[in-house]
Amino acid sequence: MSGVQDVRQRNKGKGINRDASGPSSAVDYDDHNVAYLPSRSYIESFLNTEEASAAVVAILTIIAFFTRFYKINHPDQVVFDEVHFGKFASYYIRREYYFDVHPPLAKLLFGLAGWFVGYDGHFDFENIGDSYTENHVPYVGLRALPAILGSLTVPIVYAIMKECGYSTIIAAFSAIIILFDNAHVAQSRLILLDATLIFFLSLTMYSYVRFKKLRYQEFSPQWWGWLLATGTFMACTWASKVNGILTVVAVGVAVLIDLWDILDYKKGHSMQYFWKHFIARAAGLIALPLVIYLSVFWVHLAILSNTGPGDAFMSPSFQETLRGNELLMKSHEIRYYDTVTIKHKDTQVYLHSHPERYPLKYDDGRISSQGQQVTGYGHEDSNNQWQIIPTKALPETGRGRIVRHEDVIQLLHVNTGTVLMTHDVASPLMATNEEFTTWPKDDHSRYNDTLFHLRLSDAAPGEAWKSKSGHFRLIHVPTKVAMWSHPTQLPDWAFKQQEINGNKNANEKGAVWYVNEIVDSQDPDLKAKLEEVEMKEPKRLNFFKKFGELQLLMLQHNAGLTASHPYASGPINWPFLLSGISFWTQNEGQKQIYLIGNIIGWWASVGGICIYIGILGADLLARRRGLEPIPDDVRNRLWNSTGFFIIVWAVHYFPFYLMSRQLFIHHYLPSHVASALVAGSVLSFVLSETINTPVSAWGPSVKPRPTTYADHGVKAPVMVAVFAIAMFSLYLFISPLTYGTPGYVHSFQSSLRTMLTHLLTVSCRLTGEQVNARRLLSSWTLHFAAKESGNI
Amino acid sequence: MSANVRARRPPSPIPSQPPRSQRFPTLTHSRSDADERRTLASKGYIPGRKPHPSGGVYVTSAEWKLLILITLIAVGIRLFRLSQPNSVVFDEVHFGKFASKYIKSQYFVDVHPPLAKLLITLAGFVFGYDGNFDFKDIGKVYERVPYIAMRLVPAILGVATVPLSYLTLRALDCRATTSVLAALFITFENGLITQSRHILLDSPLIFFTALTVFFWVGFCNEDKQQPFSDHWWLWLTLTGLSLGAVVSCKWVGLFTIATVGFSTVYQLWLLLGDMRVSARLFFRHFMARALCLILVPALFYMFMFWIHFAILSGSGDGDGFMSSEFQHTLRGRGMADTYADVAIGSVVTIRHVNTQGGYLHSHPHNYPTGSQQQQVTLYPHRDSNNDWRILNATTDGSEPQDWATLPLTYVAPGMRIKLRHAATDKALHSHDFRPPVSDVDFQNEVSAYGVPGYSGDMNDDWIFEIYEGSKKDPQSKRRLRTLRTHFRLRHALTGCYLFSHKVKLPDWAYEQQEVTCNKNAVLANSLWYVETADNVLLPPDAAKVNYRRPGFLSKFLELQQVMWTTNAGLTDRHTFDSRPDAWPRLRRGINFWVKDHKQIYLLGNPMVWWLSTAAVFSYIVVRGLLILRAKRGCKDFENTKVVKYDTLCGFLFLGWSLHYFPFFLMSRQLFLHHYFPALYFAILLSCGVFDLVTSTLRPRIRLQIAAVLVIIAIWNFIYLSPLAYGLPWTKAKCQNARWLKTWDFSCNDFYDSYDQYKGIDYTPQPSQIVPTPHGRGAVVVEGPVPIVSVDPNTLGKAEPGHDVFAENPHPDVKSDPAV
Repeated sequence: MSGVQDVRQRNKGKGINRDASGPSSAVDYDDHNVAYLPSRSYIESFLNTEEASAAVVAILTIIAFFTRFYKINHPDQVVFDEVHFGKFASYYIRREYYFDVHPPLAKLLFGLAGWFVGYDGHFDFENIGDSYTENHVPYVGLRALPAILGSLTVPIVYAIMKECGYSTIIAAFSAIIILFDNAHVAQSRLILLDATLIFFLSLTMYSYVRFKKLRYQEFSPQWWGWLLATGTFMACTWASKVNGILTVVAVGVAVLIDLWDILDYKKGHSMQYFWKHFIARAAGLIALPLVIYLSVFWVHLAILSNTGPGDAFMSPSFQETLRGNELLMKSHEIRYYDTVTIKHKDTQVYLHSHPERYPLKYDDGRISSQGQQVTGYGHEDSNNQWQIIPTKALPETGRGRIVRHEDVIQLLHVNTGTVLMTHDVASPLMATNEEFTTWPKDDHSRYNDTLFHLRLSDAAPGEAWKSKSGHFRLIHVPTKVAMWSHPTQLPDWAFKQQEINGNKNANEKGAVWYVNEIVDSQDPDLKAKLEEVEMKEPKRLNFFKKFGELQLLMLQHNAGLTASHPYASGPINWPFLLSGISFWTQNEGQKQIYLIGNIIGWWASVGGICIYIGILGADLLARRRGLEPIPDDVRNRLWNSTGFFIIVWAVHYFPFYLMSRQLFIHHYLPSHVASALVAGSVLSFVLSETINTPVSAWGPSVKPRPTTYADHGVKAPVMVAVFAIAMFSLYLFISPLTYGTPGYVHSFQSSLRTMLTHLLTVSCRLTGEQVNARRLLSSWTLHFAAKESGNI
Repeated sequence: MSANVRARRPPSPIPSQPPRSQRFPTLTHSRSDADERRTLASKGYIPGRKPHPSGGVYVTSAEWKLLILITLIAVGIRLFRLSQPNSVVFDEVHFGKFASKYIKSQYFVDVHPPLAKLLITLAGFVFGYDGNFDFKDIGKVYERVPYIAMRLVPAILGVATVPLSYLTLRALDCRATTSVLAALFITFENGLITQSRHILLDSPLIFFTALTVFFWVGFCNEDKQQPFSDHWWLWLTLTGLSLGAVVSCKWVGLFTIATVGFSTVYQLWLLLGDMRVSARLFFRHFMARALCLILVPALFYMFMFWIHFAILSGSGDGDGFMSSEFQHTLRGRGMADTYADVAIGSVVTIRHVNTQGGYLHSHPHNYPTGSQQQQVTLYPHRDSNNDWRILNATTDGSEPQDWATLPLTYVAPGMRIKLRHAATDKALHSHDFRPPVSDVDFQNEVSAYGVPGYSGDMNDDWIFEIYEGSKKDPQSKRRLRTLRTHFRLRHALTGCYLFSHKVKLPDWAYEQQEVTCNKNAVLANSLWYVETADNVLLPPDAAKVNYRRPGFLSKFLELQQVMWTTNAGLTDRHTFDSRPDAWPRLRRGINFWVKDHKQIYLLGNPMVWWLSTAAVFSYIVVRGLLILRAKRGCKDFENTKVVKYDTLCGFLFLGWSLHYFPFFLMSRQLFLHHYFPALYFAILLSCGVFDLVTSTLRPRIRLQIAAVLVIIAIWNFIYLSPLAYGLPWTKAKCQNARWLKTWDFSCNDFYDSYDQYKGIDYTPQPSQIVPTPHGRGAVVVEGPVPIVSVDPNTLGKAEPGHDVFAENPHPDVKSDPAV
């Protein structure tokens, strides 16, 4: 990612070396700058051999698997959001339609894992704390999937740092931050989506780095390969969880900066060259991901072909594609003079009327028409029955009697023989809306006020009105208000039933109604049909229509998740790890799983970001004053390579400030991975005056530059080792909260007991005081903590 | 922005021209006489230049006359029939009411800072308003209110905006024709006219925004000439003062501060890159700006609140929003000193710390749910039902102890006590029943239980725990001290804590706040303190305490916090609210007032409005193109004309975007008038574009084009003026004027012809749909029924913006969603 071409060598320090293998002539660097020839410390060169690197990554991976799989069968109970995601896996296996705000890939993988381990989908994951063993759920198989992906994230993080040209020890540093992080461990051991998300995110970053490194070999097969890999993994991230869209944005920003660079006149490229690059990226990073994203949904919809709990979210036409759906089974065309019951879509109350009248004067002094009350009523009642009266000539029989979209109708209240009407009188509760009442059917003096336009939702002209599926708005002809209801009760004079009034904004959400049931019909065919219930074949609907509808609903529901949650937290708390989430508690044995990170790792990461901003800020100001404190190639590495990490971090973090939905600390985990990478590169900057260059592969058109090596000396391994030990100790210290196994944890720790006795639990469970000790920040809300004692 | 990410070029080209220095003080003509100047010139110093006018405002005497003429036109337009309508319009409901409260010194709370309201009050006060009109509803006719004088304040400031726009453009080095165009555009902008004719805060806001821009432009001109001269300091200070004034009108003024702030940072960045400016000089530049643009506005803002507090010294309906300490400073809410020590047998009132719910209270009404025992609530006002007597619970024996004869025992941590309600002689009690509203497992009901003479059971016992005391009173950490000790009460048997939260009980408890006993109590919501304590055992000369009187700063900060939380909480819908994306298109206005078949509807001048929006977008497009061209090696920015107009339009665009885009982040109720400050910048920008487009034309042709534009603007203005002034209109004309379907003024309220307006002076009933004579049977009929066509937009009456503080006397100010 570094712009190498017109960068002049300004290194004053040591560690510059001519790479024997690389061509090194004809480079414009000043010879006298290379006064100090290789003084790379022994340990540094040893660690950076391929064998050493492989050994390091192998050790890290093994530890990662161990930490993620340790006691994975505990607890054998439903934990936190396993309630949702476990349930979804069941639905996949039972092939029942469900609705969720997250895209399906990660959940599909759970379904796959469940199928693979032979789970039959019988369990409903109703409540946190429901037992798996009693219900014979092979939950370990389900949990193994995120655990594997979570473990693999560690070597990928290592590889990203290696590919970016950092030394083994630095790469290990970044990987350790993830490896010993209690939040990542806790999140990967349970049936949750984040491990998948983070896994694909890190793969995306890795592929993008590999792709960028090939920038001098543009359009070569490898170049295309990594470009397409970036696109693929990006799409997988996006399809795993709804906040994966941020990964798309992050890569998008990076690509735009890259293209902006190519556009630069000083680079001497032609516009044709630019467009070639542009189109390649559009294909690899827009078209391909879209196709993958769509196909994930295609698989999702293809699997979920039966009716299920998600039906009610979808439009009628969508529901009719599901086998066994109620709409499909019970939807009939409605004819004039049919008697029907009408239900309000949002609040599920019946359109109701009864002989009681509105009081003449309301409490606030306003006056009513004293007409018959029209209300919303929650239960079945013969007062809910309305007959549809035409306002045009009808044929004696046949399809001409069907009620259609845009027809003008009257609704006759069967029990009282009055017709529904509204007029310009304020409704009982809302002065801005019109009152709904009824009028004797034989009195024609208010005929106009009883006319209503029937407007079906998304209907073609002339479409027939159907029960169940035909969602409609009832628009009053003279005053254009829509019949509307809201969940507010009327006072005692209306028996606390729900208010129905005329809303001037006919597009308001609460104005949608549907016919719940055809109670009686004059048409003998229909009457016969109502009796029998046959099995109908599901209808077909275009995939793109289904996809579009689902996507829209997901967005709406995601924004609607605003209810407060006791463990929800604001984004400002996250980088500092101010609060966690209680996933699961068990009174017996006082066990708890509390999602909280490793403070050392998190604060090191956020510290790294602060230092990075400080360095670049100071450098910008200094350059403004004509000083150049940082050599150019080091500076380019900071801007371009670390800059990419910073973009990923910022794009996965700041948008949460704009969201008003429920937010949790695990939304920060993707950013935390990026911040670990930043911390690594900042450590490298602090420890070494030089960097490993070049990292990019040379191309035919580029003059090669000399190789330089970073030298961190002995201090780096020592520092990282101390850091790793500190991380590990704290990880162990918090681990009772991560694994929820205070009673057993001491055996795992026994090898270290001598070192850490004073820190660790020896007893069978954590006492209140020990829980208190683990409450490292006062803002953590742990259960079973000791009460601050007041003497009784 | 991406240029920051990859800076490959040197930060700024080092100027190769000979130093025509501007940045540091040189010896110039003004300080030396002719001889000296000659000597200096011989030494190679720059010869003296022509003295420049202060702030770079080149205005000839002919222009002054022109400016006076335009101002007179503006006076005519803005003040025309200012007395009409003679009834309350739109938010005059609120701002008129606030003026009344200032005059009567009744404390109130509003989401806006006080300056504009103070100015309006001043006008009312000078003209003898006594504060006795209630401004209850839109359309209420004024009685004994000098409302014309009050309306004059925004109107005059609205007029003053016109010459300011002229001078600003002149200072930005635009031609006189352009400046006249801008001034006339602003004069004939219907929206600005409507807004400035009523008792509203936006006109002062726009005026001060314009003033700030003018001063800032003047300062920038001075800065180019000679920094640290007297004039330089003057313009800088004036900028700071007017910044303070903007933000003291409405918090939207913060956007103006941001505009000047960005501009300053850019200036400093250029200065930093200028290697001839020494670090010391740079520091002086920096400090001068920090002083005048941060400190001065902050002091001004605080001074406004100082006046605000000084005037509002009495108790009023805003009390309930403030803390007890704050309320204590208000006349009529003060409290007499009370005993500092609390002992067994003391009669105390106990307040909840975290909510403004008030005192622990009980009254002889029972819960309809749970145990059906007597209710215990939080009640915000002083009342004898708030009195509780503290008794010792450890002494056994069933008959009540005679506490009056026992030795004095102070209440100390860990003590087991009972609280007996003085009026009903029942004890504070908790048991395993669910509370009426918070019906969850970990909450227990709290009731008052017992009969006189019966000492109660174990469920009446509470353990007293001290959470914190006051630093200044070391005793308060060791035993219960009135007002100083924050304590918790733990129920002895169940271990739950006495708790309250922002949950109202239903009607049967008079909507007082719920009190429960919570096993997982949030700490902040389970803290209490004793407000008054009385004990016959204590001698009358025993130590007494009272609330600490908060200083100005703590009152100021507390009020800011209350304003902020409430402002963010203004989220419910208003019939005429709108979202920011609709503003630049002028999709919809606001219904201000409907009465007597006349209407006032806030709507801009479509031509001016849309032209300004077009200018903004053309700037974005052209600037984007220029950036792309520069990237591809075109040297546009070496053209002085491009540089000049880029700087000018860039500044105005910055102002527009900073006054517009932040609204997208706000979820609160928003109205069209929130766009006006941005509109001011957009109009100036459109005139800047005009200046650029006509720069190659001859002056005569330029003048002709400007004249045509002004004539179209005036025609637009006249066409819609009945809506701006609330004049008679006809249905037909109104229908014609509905250029967009989304303009929802109700044409049906107007008469069919002007004649009908003569001699009418009453308020008719709202229009009703007349029952049609030709009804038909509800049977099969031939052919469609003719439907009476009625205008679809007979929309409702005008309603004022929402004022939470008025409707909800005890809102969730320090909202803390308790568990």
